[in-house]
Amino acid sequence: MTDAPTPVLTDPEANQEIHQRFKKEYAAGFISDIESDTLLPGLNEDVVRFISAKKGEPEWMTEWRLKAYRSWLEMVEPDWAHVQYDKPDFQALSYYSAPKSMADGPKSLDEVDPELLRTYEKLGIPLHEQLMLAGVAVDAVFDSVSVATTFRDKLAEAGVIFMPISEAVHKHPELVKKYLGTVVPQRDNFYAALNSAVFSDGSFVYIPKGVRCPMELSTYFRINEAKTGQFERTLIIADEGSHVSYLEGCTAPMRDENQLHAAVVELIALDDAEIKYSTVQNWYPGDEEGKGGIYNFVTKRAVAHTNAKVSWTQVETGSAVTWKYPSCILKGDNAVGEFYSVALTNNYQQADTGTKMIHLGKNTRSTIISKGISAGKSQNAYRGLVRMNPNAAGARNYTQCDSLLIGDQCGAHTFPYIESKHPSAVIEHEATTSTVSDDQLFLCRQRGIDTEKAVSMIVNGFCKEVFKELPMEFAVEAGKLLELSLEGSVG
Amino acid sequence: MATVFQDQQLQRVNGTHAPDWLQPIRAQGSAAFAAAPWPTRKTEAWKYCSLKTLAGDSYHADIPPITAANNKDLAAAATIAGLDSYQLVLVNGQIHPELSSALALEQVVLFENANTDQQAAIAEQLANARQQSNHHLFNDLNDAVLNSGVLVTIGRNSQLDKPLQICSINTGAESAYSVNSRVLVVLETNAELTLIEQFASVSAHDDNSFTNNQTDIQIGDNARLTHYRLNRMQSASAFIGSSRIDLQRDAHYQAFHLGLGSALTRNDLVVNHNIGGSHSEISGVYVPQGSQLVDFHTCIEHAAAHCTSNEVFRGIINDQAKAVFNGRIHIHKDAQKTLAELSNKNLLLTNKAEIDTKPELEIYADDVKCAHGATVAQLDDKARFYLQSRGISEQDAQVMLSFGFINELLDALPHPVIGDWLRPLLAQRFGRAPAFTTEQVEALS
Amino acid sequence: MISISNLHAKVEDKPILKGLNLDIKPGEIHAIMGPNGAGKSTLGNVLAGRDGYEVTAGSATLNGKDILALEAEERAREGLFLAFQYPVEIPGVSNLEFLKASVDAIRAHQGKEPLDSVSFLKKAREKIKAVNLDQSFLKRGVNEGFSGGEKKRNELMQMMMLEPSLCILDETDSGLDIDALQVVAHGVNAMRDPNRSFIIVTHYQRLLDYIVPDYVHVLADGKIVKSGGKELALELEEKGYSWLESEA
Repeated sequence: MTDAPTPVLTDPEANQEIHQRFKKEYAAGFISDIESDTLLPGLNEDVVRFISAKKGEPEWMTEWRLKAYRSWLEMVEPDWAHVQYDKPDFQALSYYSAPKSMADGPKSLDEVDPELLRTYEKLGIPLHEQLMLAGVAVDAVFDSVSVATTFRDKLAEAGVIFMPISEAVHKHPELVKKYLGTVVPQRDNFYAALNSAVFSDGSFVYIPKGVRCPMELSTYFRINEAKTGQFERTLIIADEGSHVSYLEGCTAPMRDENQLHAAVVELIALDDAEIKYSTVQNWYPGDEEGKGGIYNFVTKRAVAHTNAKVSWTQVETGSAVTWKYPSCILKGDNAVGEFYSVALTNNYQQADTGTKMIHLGKNTRSTIISKGISAGKSQNAYRGLVRMNPNAAGARNYTQCDSLLIGDQCGAHTFPYIESKHPSAVIEHEATTSTVSDDQLFLCRQRGIDTEKAVSMIVNGFCKEVFKELPMEFAVEAGKLLELSLEGSVG
Repeated sequence: MATVFQDQQLQRVNGTHAPDWLQPIRAQGSAAFAAAPWPTRKTEAWKYCSLKTLAGDSYHADIPPITAANNKDLAAAATIAGLDSYQLVLVNGQIHPELSSALALEQVVLFENANTDQQAAIAEQLANARQQSNHHLFNDLNDAVLNSGVLVTIGRNSQLDKPLQICSINTGAESAYSVNSRVLVVLETNAELTLIEQFASVSAHDDNSFTNNQTDIQIGDNARLTHYRLNRMQSASAFIGSSRIDLQRDAHYQAFHLGLGSALTRNDLVVNHNIGGSHSEISGVYVPQGSQLVDFHTCIEHAAAHCTSNEVFRGIINDQAKAVFNGRIHIHKDAQKTLAELSNKNLLLTNKAEIDTKPELEIYADDVKCAHGATVAQLDDKARFYLQSRGISEQDAQVMLSFGFINELLDALPHPVIGDWLRPLLAQRFGRAPAFTTEQVEALS
Repeated sequence: MISISNLHAKVEDKPILKGLNLDIKPGEIHAIMGPNGAGKSTLGNVLAGRDGYEVTAGSATLNGKDILALEAEERAREGLFLAFQYPVEIPGVSNLEFLKASVDAIRAHQGKEPLDSVSFLKKAREKIKAVNLDQSFLKRGVNEGFSGGEKKRNELMQMMMLEPSLCILDETDSGLDIDALQVVAHGVNAMRDPNRSFIIVTHYQRLLDYIVPDYVHVLADGKIVKSGGKELALELEEKGYSWLESEA
C-alpha cells in the first residue's frame, strides 16, 4: 500500500492522445429524409385514444392505456438516480410518428420505402433476407412503428410468433391480454406508466412449449423524426422448456435537442425456459459540449419460473442520460438470473444503470458482472439490488462491479443494495476501481504498441467477461462500437 | 407534519436551562428539528432503519436523579477490567463527580464550567458540526436541547498518560426519558489520545431511556486518536449516536465500534480526510439478537490527495433481529492517490433475521485505488469440516466459527486488554463461556 | 482395527476410488503410495467423512463399526484421526479453545468428564513442546499465519492430544524440511502402540526412512495394485510408478 504511487496520465502527450481518441464521431448520426405522419405535440386522453385508434385497437387495449395514463398523471418523475438533466416537457413532445409511406403498412419488403431500406443499410442492418446474416430474424422499428419483420415464414414453421406488438394485439389477443403488464405493471414507475399509455409499437415474441427458436431474433430501433418520443414495448414469452436468444440495437440521428426514449421490455420465462436478451445501445449521446442526445429511460424486467433462466447482456455506449435496470424476478425454484453489462460514458454523458435480482424461489442463483468505463466529463453509476426473500433457501448471488476511469474529470459510482432474509442464502459483492496508468501505457509502447491501440486493448480486456456473453453477431458489433469510441481519426 | 415525538421533544427545549452563550446554537437546532420531516422508508438515509421504537413513545419524562445506593453498580459498569484509565461517568446524562477522576484533568472541561475562551472554542466547534455532511434531525435535536457537554483538549505535542474513558450509564425510570450527550475532542498538532466511549445500563427494571449522542472530533497535524465506541446498553433502550472526525495533515485515526445493546441502535460515523497524508482505520462488530435493530452508517470522505482509509465491519444477526450497514466512500475530485478499502461481512443465524447492507463508492478522481466488498454468507465449509473431523459437533462448530468470525476483529484491537474484556461479553451471546481465563492464556507467552 | 472392502467413491460425479480393499490390524503401520491423482487423498477424506465425497459401493468398519454411516464428528469420536494435507486456517478461533472443545467432545463420547482447564493446559504445553512449537502457538487462531511446517506440526500435536486409535496421515511429509520431517516421524514413532494403527499416505519414500511401515501398498487408478513389505517403498523410489501402471 505504501509503494510509490503510480503516475497516471501526467504525460501531456499521452493525455492529448487519449483525449483525441475519445473525440469520436457518431457514425449513425445521419438524418433520413422521409415524409412522416407525425402527431402534433402534447399529451392528453385524446392523444392516448388517437394512438389506440390509429392502431385499430380493441376497447380493452384502449382502456388499459387510459388506466396507465391516469396513473401517470398522479406520479412524479423519479429523482433518486445519480444523473442531472433538464426534465423533459412532456407537452412539447409528439407521441406518434410514422413514415408516411407506411400508412397502409407494407405487405412485403418490396413495398417498403427504398429510402427507409437505405437507412437501415447505412446502419449495417440490411433488411433484405438474402443479405441477412444467416440465422437472424430482424424486426425494424422506425420512430414509432415497426417497418419490417424478416423471416416470419420460417419462424412460423417452428411455431414461433415474431411480429410487431401492434399486430399481436389483433392476431394473438389472448397472449397479449394474459401477459402484458404482468411483469411491469402500468403504474410500476413514471416512465413505465407513460410508456403503457402511449406505446406505439415494439416486438412481440412467443416461443411455444419445448421449442428452441431456430434463429436469433433481433430488433433494431431508430428514432428519426425531430421532437418525437419513442415509446416501444417489447413482450417476450418463452413457454415451458423453450429457448430464445433476442438481440436489440438502437441508433438515432444527431440532433441538437434531447429526445426521449422510454421503452418497456417484459420477459416471461416459464418453467425450464431460457431467454437470452442482448442489447447494443448506441443512441445519439449528444455532442462534445453535451448538447443534444437521447434520454434513455427504460424499464426492463423478467420473471423466471421454476428452473428457468434469464440472461441480460448489455453494451451501453450511447444516450445523453441513461436510466435503466434490466431486472430478474427469480420466482420459481432453481431459477437463474444473469446480468452482464458494459457501460461506457464519454463527454457529458450520464449513466445510472444496473440491475435488480429478486430471489423468491429456493436455490435461485444470480450473477452480476458490471463494467463501467468513464471518460471525458461523464458520470457513470452502477445501481443494483440483490434481495433474498424469506423463502429463498440456498439462494446465491455473486456480484462484481468494476469501474475504469480515464481522465480526472469524470466520475464512477457504485450503489449496491443488498438485502437478505434467509440464513442459507449466500451473497458476495465486490467492487473495484482502476485507471489506465502511464506505467501500463509505457509498457505497451516500449513493446511497440501505440497508445491508441494500448488503451483499446486495456479497455477490451476490462470488458472481456461481458463480451464473451454476447451472441457472435453482436460481439463483432460491440467490439466495433468500443473501437469507435476509443479510436481517433487515425483509425 | 411533526410527529408526537418531535412535538414532545421540542417541549424539552423550554424545559432545560442553558447558559446564554449556548442559546444561538439551541435556536438553530430547534428550528431545524421542528422543520425536519420525520424519516420514513422513503428517506434514503433511513430506508432500512425504522424509528417506530421512538415514535411509539415521547421520551420526555423527567430524568431520574442519581442515588448513592447504586454507586457500586455504576462503578462496576464503568470499569474495564485490567484497564487503568481516567474516567468520566455520566449517569442519565449528568456527571457523577465521585466516579469521575477525569474532572481533575485540565484537559477535560464541562461546558457549564467553561471560561470565556473555552466557550468561544466550543461554540465554534458546535457551529462547524452543523455544516457536516450526513447531518440529520437527531443532530438538530442534540443542538436544540444542549445544556451541557464535555470538551477534551489535548495540547500541542502532548498526550494523556492513560486512556480517557467517558462512560454514559442510564438507569431507566417509570416513564421513558431522553438523555442528550455531547462530546467535543480537539487534538492539537502532534497530540495523542485514547478515548473510550462506553454506553451502558444499570437498572433493576428496563432501561427505557433514549440516548442522543454526538461526538465531534478534530485531529490536528500528525496527531493520533484511538477511539472506542461501545454500546452494551439494555435491550429496551434506544440509542442514536453520531461521531464526526476531521483529520488534518498526516493525522491518524483508529476506531472500533461495538453494537451490542439497545432495541434501536443507529450510529453515524463520518471521517473527513481534509488534508493530505491522513489515515483512518475503522473496525466494528454488531451482534443483534431478539428484536434488536442495529444500523451503522459510515461515510469516509476523501477530500484531499494521498490519504488512506480502511474499514472492516462484521455482524452476526440472530433471532428476529435486523442489522443495517451503509458504508460510503466518497473520493472528491482532487483526492488523487487515495487508497480506500471497505469490507462488510455478515452471518444470519435464523430465517427471521435480516441484513441490509449497502457499500457505496462515489469517485471523482481517476488515480485512486478503491475497493469494497460485502458478503452475506454461511460459515466456511472447510473450517467446519476441520472442526468436525476433530470430534466437535456441527452445532458447536457453528458456534465456535461464528464467534471466531467476530473475535478476529477483537484480536486485532490496539488495546488487547479491551479485547480480553469484551470477549466474554460477546461469547455470552453465543451461549459459550470461554474455557480459559485471561490469566491462563496470558501465561502461555 | 479397520477393514475396507471394495470401496468405491466419487467426487463431483467422477469416480476416484474403484474397489479398494485394505485390512489393518491393531499396532500396524501401513504406507500407501502412488502416483498423483491415484486417489490417495480421496481415501483419507472418504474415511473421515468429508462432504462432497460420495461412497457408491463397498464398506469400511472401524473396530467392527460401520463408519461410513456416521457423521464426521462421530467418526472422530470413534477414534479416527485425519492429519490434513492442507490444514485450514480459522482466524478468530484460538487453538486452545478449539483443542479443548475437541478433547472434551471425544472424552464425553467415552463417558469421561471434561478435562479441567489446569490439567488440559499442562498436557497441551507438554505436547506442543514435543512437536517443537512455541507455546504461544496455543493462543493463536487455528493454523492462522502458521507456515506449512508449523501447520503439519500442529496436526501432529492434535493427534497427540486426542490419542486416536487410527491415524491417517495425508501427505504429511509434503513441503517439510528435513528437521520438521524428523519431528513428525519422532512424534509418530512415540505414539506407536499395540492398540493404535497408522495409515501413512505419501508420494515419496523419504518419510518411510524415519517411520518404518509394516506394509506398503501402491494405489493406482483407485485400487491397490501391489502390496508388499517396507522394501517395496525402496523399489518404488528406484523405479517410479510407471512400471506398475502398465501392470495394472
